[in-house]
Amino acid sequence: MRNRLCFLLMAVVAFALMAGDSVCLAADSSAKGLSGEIPIAGVWSLTGDAAVYGPSQKNASELAVDEINKSGMLGEAKLKLITEDDRSTKEGAITAFDKLIKKDKVIAILGPTLSNSAKASNPIAQDAKVIVLGVSNTASGIVEIGDFIFRDSLPESVVQPNTVKITRDKLGYNKVAVMYGDDDVFTKGGYDVFKKVLDDSGIKILTIETFKKKDTDFSAQLTKIKGLNPDQIIVSALAEEAAGILTQARQLGIPDSVHIIGGNGFNSPKLAQLAGPAAEGAISGAAWFVGNDTPGNKKFVEEYNKKTGSNPDQFAAQAYAGVYIIANAIKNAGSSNPQAVRDALAKTKDLDTVLGKFSFNEKRDPVHFPVVQTIKNGKFELFK
Amino acid sequence: MPDFLSHNITVINFILINMALGLSIYLTLSTGLLSLANAGFMAIGAYTTALIITRTDIPLGVAIVPAMLLAALVALPLGMLVLRLRDVYLAIATLGFGEIVRIAALNGDKVVRWFSDNKDLIVFNGAEGITLSYVTPKIVLGLPDSTWPLLIYLLVVTYLAFTLQNSRYGRVLASIRQDETAAHTLGIDVVRYKLLAFVLSAAIAAGAGALSAPVMRVIDPRNYVFSKAVDILAYAVLGGMTHWFGPIVGATVLTSLPEILSFLKDQRDVANGLIIMISTIYLPGGLVDPKMWRSLAKFVLGRNTSGSTA
Repeated sequence: MRNRLCFLLMAVVAFALMAGDSVCLAADSSAKGLSGEIPIAGVWSLTGDAAVYGPSQKNASELAVDEINKSGMLGEAKLKLITEDDRSTKEGAITAFDKLIKKDKVIAILGPTLSNSAKASNPIAQDAKVIVLGVSNTASGIVEIGDFIFRDSLPESVVQPNTVKITRDKLGYNKVAVMYGDDDVFTKGGYDVFKKVLDDSGIKILTIETFKKKDTDFSAQLTKIKGLNPDQIIVSALAEEAAGILTQARQLGIPDSVHIIGGNGFNSPKLAQLAGPAAEGAISGAAWFVGNDTPGNKKFVEEYNKKTGSNPDQFAAQAYAGVYIIANAIKNAGSSNPQAVRDALAKTKDLDTVLGKFSFNEKRDPVHFPVVQTIKNGKFELFK
Repeated sequence: MPDFLSHNITVINFILINMALGLSIYLTLSTGLLSLANAGFMAIGAYTTALIITRTDIPLGVAIVPAMLLAALVALPLGMLVLRLRDVYLAIATLGFGEIVRIAALNGDKVVRWFSDNKDLIVFNGAEGITLSYVTPKIVLGLPDSTWPLLIYLLVVTYLAFTLQNSRYGRVLASIRQDETAAHTLGIDVVRYKLLAFVLSAAIAAGAGALSAPVMRVIDPRNYVFSKAVDILAYAVLGGMTHWFGPIVGATVLTSLPEILSFLKDQRDVANGLIIMISTIYLPGGLVDPKMWRSLAKFVLGRNTSGSTA
């Protein structure tokens, strides 16, 4: 019996030694100046429970890299995009970051899709001085990780105040009911911001109701809300749950004059598909909207349609813009040195992107105008 | 550090954690208990450790002790209750426990605030979880300092499983698995031994959870969802439930497979699933089935070799 354990230990040691000798990896990171291939990466949730978002980010980033390489924007140099799947887990994101930094020697990573994965994986990049550009992380505590961590996804703290201000100016409301999903970082974060904005603007919150991801029955919460007779209902939810809430609110006889106002989570073509006529009049704040008249947006929507056969969503637009923002920084730095690119990236100001005129503030958070949209005839339109 | 190690050290870390988790469920499975509570106990271990090391200067090596004790303390009354159940009923009850732990971590702050004057108190931090600060890994004796505790813990747990399997206790547990009624008539205190296996398994899972905290860095309820409980079960099922080496092989294969297959891109999950399906169909006793390997050895080496009793 002892012998067997000894053998096992010997086998482990032998394996480790063998592996060390036989694996040799060629990494081409010596590209100084702008020539050759500049490796960048996208870490997306292509499988697992966030797989709704990852594929559109992957498609949009591939589209952007193709366009940049065809246009000769970087002169002799070409971007080489390496895509990794984090399986919607922190383990996946950490492993992918480790591989991309050590083995592929990328200079910049876009992603990961989920905020909590970003909190787990981004410190590895910061430690190795590799740029991370989050394109869908909206939680707090991301850019705070360090000076190599950026994001182009507008946090809810920018989108929501704008939504409340614009809708209040138009609709004039004073008392609202609030509903939010309390088991998701994104919807919980959205609620925190809504609560603060409503309190700051002196709007009375009649009740705060919660639900969980994958809930399908919201009638208890909505019946209570109906009884309180609010002017509007503020909802922080992702598209699936939002669709359920919209449908059941109208079934329970909450009148159309009571609008349902949401955050970034509403910003998916799925909402109108799932809720059908009940989605009419739903209002949401967003960082981007499919009919934006921002530079290049029309072409982006067309090309994305050609590539995938469907309209891009906000996640796609932010990933697409992210690649252009990085490419612009590489061009301005005139080098693929991560430190030089980081410094150029931090100076990004009024860059024309599909999101609008784009800048980074001193905290490496994005600055551009959010939009407020409403659903009319099953399609998003600007809220006026 | 050789390139292979340094490039794959995070995968190796997760393999080590999963090996320990696989061994934790092996303990209950080898007693014939289909318990899915180990993701919950892992969560208890991870949360306890994360809270201790973010709020005090107590090092990880010490913080693991209260984490394992707490899990054992929870497992004891829970075991008394649910171990009356068998088979799939036990699986459902323990699964329920896992969900309770997850929801408790999600909403624990609301409860804590009831008992506290501070209405903005943050302990578990709901869906956002507890974030541990990042420490640049140092290389100690050729391995990063985050890997050593995992390796040592795994060796201890493996040694425990190894001695247990070959001890009187191990044979008692195996007899309960093979025929509970017969074991009972032989005078074995079935309830007590089942409880022993359950509590020990909980403590081992909590220890793995505790050591996973600095590697995962973000401890949130999403880490311990239903699918994690099933993953842990799969390590033992794929590897084999009758030998302690089974879950070790199972955890290695299942953790490294997605990385090895990453060249398949979108088809990775299909290949991953196929490999698991085929191996469970053709190797029902798991990859490490002493009976199968023995008969294979006989077949290859000819009839002259007598079956070893290893």
